[in-house]
Amino acid sequence: MRRSRLFRRLMATTLPVALVLGSAGTTAVAEPLRGRSMSSYGLAGGIDAPTAEMLPEGTLGATISWSDYGRRSSMVFQVLPQVTTVLRYSRVDGVREFENEEAITDRSLDVRVQLVEEQGWRPAVAVGLQDFLGTGVYSGEYVVATKTVTPRVRVTAGLGWGVLAGKPRLIDASDEGGTPNADEWFRGSAKPFASVSWQVNDRLDVVAEYSANDHIARYNTGQVFQQGKAPDSNLNLAAFYRFGETYQAGLYTIGGNTFGAQFSIMLNPRQSPYPSGLAKAPAPVRPRPAPAADPDGWSGVWSQDPTAQPAIQTALGDAMAKEGQALESMALSPGRAEVRVNNTRYVSHAEAIGRTARLMTRALPPSVETFVITSTAQGIPTSSVTLRRSDIERLENTEAGQIAAVSALTDAPATAPGLVQTDGIYPRFRWSVRPYLSLGFFSAKDGLTYEGGGQARATYTIAPGLILTGAIRQRAFGNIERRGPAIPGQRGRNYTFDEYRDNPALETTPEGVPRVRSDTRMYSGNNKPTIPELTLAWYAKPAPAVYTRVTAGILERAYGGVSTEVLWKPANSPLALGAEVNHVRKRDFDQLFDFRDYEVTMGHVSAYYEFPQGFTAQLDVGKYLAGDKGATLSVTREFANGWRIGAFATKTDLSAEEFGEGSFDKGVTLSIPLGWATGQPTQDRVSTRLRSLSRDGGAQLNVNGRLYDNVRDSHSAKLYEGWGRFWR
Amino acid sequence: MMNGALKIALGASLMAVLAGCGNDDRGIGPLGVLAQTAAQTVAQRRAAGDEPPAPPKSPGEAAAEALRVNSGPLIQVGFESLGRTQVMALTGQNGALRTYMTPAEEALILRGGMLVGTRGLGNDLSVAEPATDALIRAGAPGTAPRIMRYYAGDGLERPLQFNCTVGAGPRAGVTVETCQGHGTSFQNSYMVQDGQIAVSRQWVGPALGYVTIQTLRP
Repeated sequence: MRRSRLFRRLMATTLPVALVLGSAGTTAVAEPLRGRSMSSYGLAGGIDAPTAEMLPEGTLGATISWSDYGRRSSMVFQVLPQVTTVLRYSRVDGVREFENEEAITDRSLDVRVQLVEEQGWRPAVAVGLQDFLGTGVYSGEYVVATKTVTPRVRVTAGLGWGVLAGKPRLIDASDEGGTPNADEWFRGSAKPFASVSWQVNDRLDVVAEYSANDHIARYNTGQVFQQGKAPDSNLNLAAFYRFGETYQAGLYTIGGNTFGAQFSIMLNPRQSPYPSGLAKAPAPVRPRPAPAADPDGWSGVWSQDPTAQPAIQTALGDAMAKEGQALESMALSPGRAEVRVNNTRYVSHAEAIGRTARLMTRALPPSVETFVITSTAQGIPTSSVTLRRSDIERLENTEAGQIAAVSALTDAPATAPGLVQTDGIYPRFRWSVRPYLSLGFFSAKDGLTYEGGGQARATYTIAPGLILTGAIRQRAFGNIERRGPAIPGQRGRNYTFDEYRDNPALETTPEGVPRVRSDTRMYSGNNKPTIPELTLAWYAKPAPAVYTRVTAGILERAYGGVSTEVLWKPANSPLALGAEVNHVRKRDFDQLFDFRDYEVTMGHVSAYYEFPQGFTAQLDVGKYLAGDKGATLSVTREFANGWRIGAFATKTDLSAEEFGEGSFDKGVTLSIPLGWATGQPTQDRVSTRLRSLSRDGGAQLNVNGRLYDNVRDSHSAKLYEGWGRFWR
Repeated sequence: MMNGALKIALGASLMAVLAGCGNDDRGIGPLGVLAQTAAQTVAQRRAAGDEPPAPPKSPGEAAAEALRVNSGPLIQVGFESLGRTQVMALTGQNGALRTYMTPAEEALILRGGMLVGTRGLGNDLSVAEPATDALIRAGAPGTAPRIMRYYAGDGLERPLQFNCTVGAGPRAGVTVETCQGHGTSFQNSYMVQDGQIAVSRQWVGPALGYVTIQTLRP
């Protein structure tokens, strides 16, 4: 039954109070012990050794730590109240894996799970895996307990294996890494570690720690390297200073002879500077006059006047446009009105629907009792919410669950009898000329990369669902230069741009894999105008829950061709199924209208499922750009405010050797709505995708406008998740 | 040396370039938002520099002027945490529910003078459900719960429940509602005339604190 699912979602709104009060200390609810400072590995608590502490659920943070051991850039995400994950990019100094290099760059992934929450005399207990995908310089495991002794003092004691016991695992330099080394976990001798943290005041924290880590890297070739200097003692000390809720700086010493500094940023998606947003107040409900005061309006006689609907539609469309809602079409009869609306402003579709419903009470004659608000995306209707006008009047500004209980969400048919298109909606031409700036943070070879310039972009919507899009881009400055991919077998050396462009034979690796993404730098840093996108897209809805897309033209910076997609997604179903087939050709490196020789037909079938708490999973199975076959699993968590954090992994039939470093493709996606930070109502976002390396295996086509995300915003899971903003 | 006005003008045109142009305000990106915000600030500062700042009106003057130009129901609201006092005009009435707005379209929603919601203030109260309402209007002492629902930063509507005691205040004619819960407490004061709350000081929430509401024209 739909209702129970809906109420379960709404019931979720009755939980943590501290979020509203903005202070953690006011509740007696048991929750995982929260760390007050970050370790040099970017997890909560400790310096060089772990603690059992967690971060507030959903926290996303980054820590950069510098010392003689190198530089560690760690990104932390508190996936669940008891589960922390860290993705780390490090430069490890002193490890000469190759003769001519002073350091190695290394990626590592950690996970920490708090098994037992602190309660009464019982400490919080956690277990953790450090650098557990393949054997790396930081590989180790631990079991740790942390106890609050006084409100300001916490003590931690634990047992560590691997580097935490000063017994680093043997690293196989020829291994491509990237797969769990489970057979080594919790093996070998273990050693204890311990720490005490003291919260001096609201800003300052001091930590003292005993750790057995001696910062040595050992290889199976017999080589042993000391990172930085060997610690003089096992005692580490640190002080951390907090700036507001978000920033923290720290200074530490490892063993008395190595000093380090670090800086952390912590963002909690649940804590926005403007939780309700700064959007202007909605127009209030206008209740209907008494029947005696407007007999024509109540009897429906007005509908016989042919000028009535156009006048109402124009007035309603103008009012809705002021609230960022495009009234695309309307069907009006004496008792019922359907509006088809494209929400261009609010992250929460419930807010868009709530505002539209209130404007309808102000514009429609009294006899209209049934309101149908149909959301559209790319000109295609995605779902309908049916409301009774008397419920809107009766329930204005009450708990959002009440209006949810008397609303109905259904699939929207492609068209409905009586629908009249609003004047001036189609065709529609939109254009913009803007600067762009792209930044790269995690390039091992280049450090921080940036590029800026100008981009002109235009979209011409010819008819509902038929959209012509084009863009032209000119770089003005940047430190990304064009170059070919790395020369196989010659570490650190790349083909030059000209060398690679002029020799098509290089576009296949020695293992026989076509270079579909590993030459991505050939497309970067072009000083001449480029065309990032030039497409004609056609969206349609052949059946009530079936959506289709055909996109043709220059699809992305490296490929052009035709992309077709079909998606089945009923508005009330957590399950969706889809299929995509693309025929594409590789673009020339000048990124204009020329193509190179590589051509491929690829695609996949997909299953999507929405779990509670905003989690969605997507499984794609099919053929990738290089012709390799395999599957991609993505798991994303999306908050009602629009924050999205996800991870994906792709494994194809390419062997680890054919794939190269990392063994298989994986990465993290992150998308933050701008309105969360600024309070302004906008659907704009800042998005990024952290993926290990540009590799050829498991490479996906980056076509814009894929159906699932377009369609899902107004479907049950996301709509009801954000329903609390209906009366906003 | 550049003079101040030229510098500001140059700054403003640079901001305009950064913010771009076109009829499509979607997909503007963080750079555009920063530039827009900065351009607004520059424009405001320039506007402020061009004309001498008008002496701030006293609340009394503002109220008198509003009563003169607006013939509808008006309230004057002091936002204590924001440090401003504003006249708000009735923009909608649904039964006993009244929505008052500032010229910038920030809203206060009242039911017979009792605050039940705010909109457009950044830390809005979605809806208040004071079971103490009848006690306050009757001037009768007693206890009752009060639920305050907020738009939380994660996009959900989250309730806080408080236990409230209603009683006579220190001054004649003033009814006081003292509420406690979630480690915090607040005290609302009401002056009731014929069942209507004419003057009050009410707590909006943890971030916005108290507002004082005075009926200028019922």
